[in-house]
Amino acid sequence: MELMKSENIVQDRQPQPQEEEEIMQQEEEEQRFHVLAVDDSVIDRKLLEKLLKASSYQVTCVESGEKALEYLGLLHHSSPASSSSQHHHQGHKVNLIMTDFSMPGTSGYDLLKRIKGSSWKDVPVVVMSSENVPSRISMCLEGGAEEFMLKPLQLSDLHKIQAHLLKSLPHS
Amino acid sequence: MDLVQLQRQLVDYRTSLYHEGFLDEQFTQLQSLQDENNPDFVVEVVSLFFEDSERLLNELSKALEQQIIDFKRMDGQVHQLKGSSSSIGAHRVQKLCIVFRNYCEAQNVEGCLKCLQQVKHEYGIIKTKLESMFQLEQQILNAGGSIPV
Repeated sequence: MELMKSENIVQDRQPQPQEEEEIMQQEEEEQRFHVLAVDDSVIDRKLLEKLLKASSYQVTCVESGEKALEYLGLLHHSSPASSSSQHHHQGHKVNLIMTDFSMPGTSGYDLLKRIKGSSWKDVPVVVMSSENVPSRISMCLEGGAEEFMLKPLQLSDLHKIQAHLLKSLPHS
Repeated sequence: MDLVQLQRQLVDYRTSLYHEGFLDEQFTQLQSLQDENNPDFVVEVVSLFFEDSERLLNELSKALEQQIIDFKRMDGQVHQLKGSSSSIGAHRVQKLCIVFRNYCEAQNVEGCLKCLQQVKHEYGIIKTKLESMFQLEQQILNAGGSIPV
């Protein structure tokens, strides 16, 4: 067996500076709120992603209601195993879902109902639309949406969202 | 043209785009989201808008050439165009889309054809104007200056 130099042993024990930074970044990310954003418009997805990142949220964008259901593990089974209070499923933590209303296939409203009928029901859902239709708004709110927002969204709209996210935190 | 003149020209050009109703407040929102981490954000979003719009305008042209016109499908496409133009602040295009949707709902072929021509025209204008604006911005950057807000 080769005798290892004392410097080598010290290096092996301590993480490299870059690794330390990565670990810290990872921990920071896990503490940030994670938003699942659903919109069939590539432009609106890019905008929403930027708005959310500018507000320090972690974002996952999907292009359809089906993809959202898939992400949440709701596509093929009716209800996955019960979640922890952190809403972890399949390794995904989701603190908020933002969805466009008018999407081909599974609409934002369909998605809302599926979510509220699942073990993800406690995750706040915000529905967005470019059209100001009162009956649509009440339908979504009655369906369990936390908030209905008119597009295009602005940074100031994100403040409302923060209030919903803070509400959903577990109380000590 | 020196740097100060270029910057002046850009500010004047931008202001005129708002005054003439080509752009609205939403475009300002886009600009406010751009930062050092994302210095090409506005250009990227606008490029996506160009691609998406051209696709939709082609599809609408084809739809109106069919024997049997699918007004419902067309309405959906105009709705998409209305949404994306609204999201980037392309005000005139957005307004025309509202009129276009009314013609789709009324299943009025003549109205739709006329509207499509108008939308194509306005889209062409805003595309040219935004490209000119981006070129000016690039000239300023190349001359070592910064883009005035």
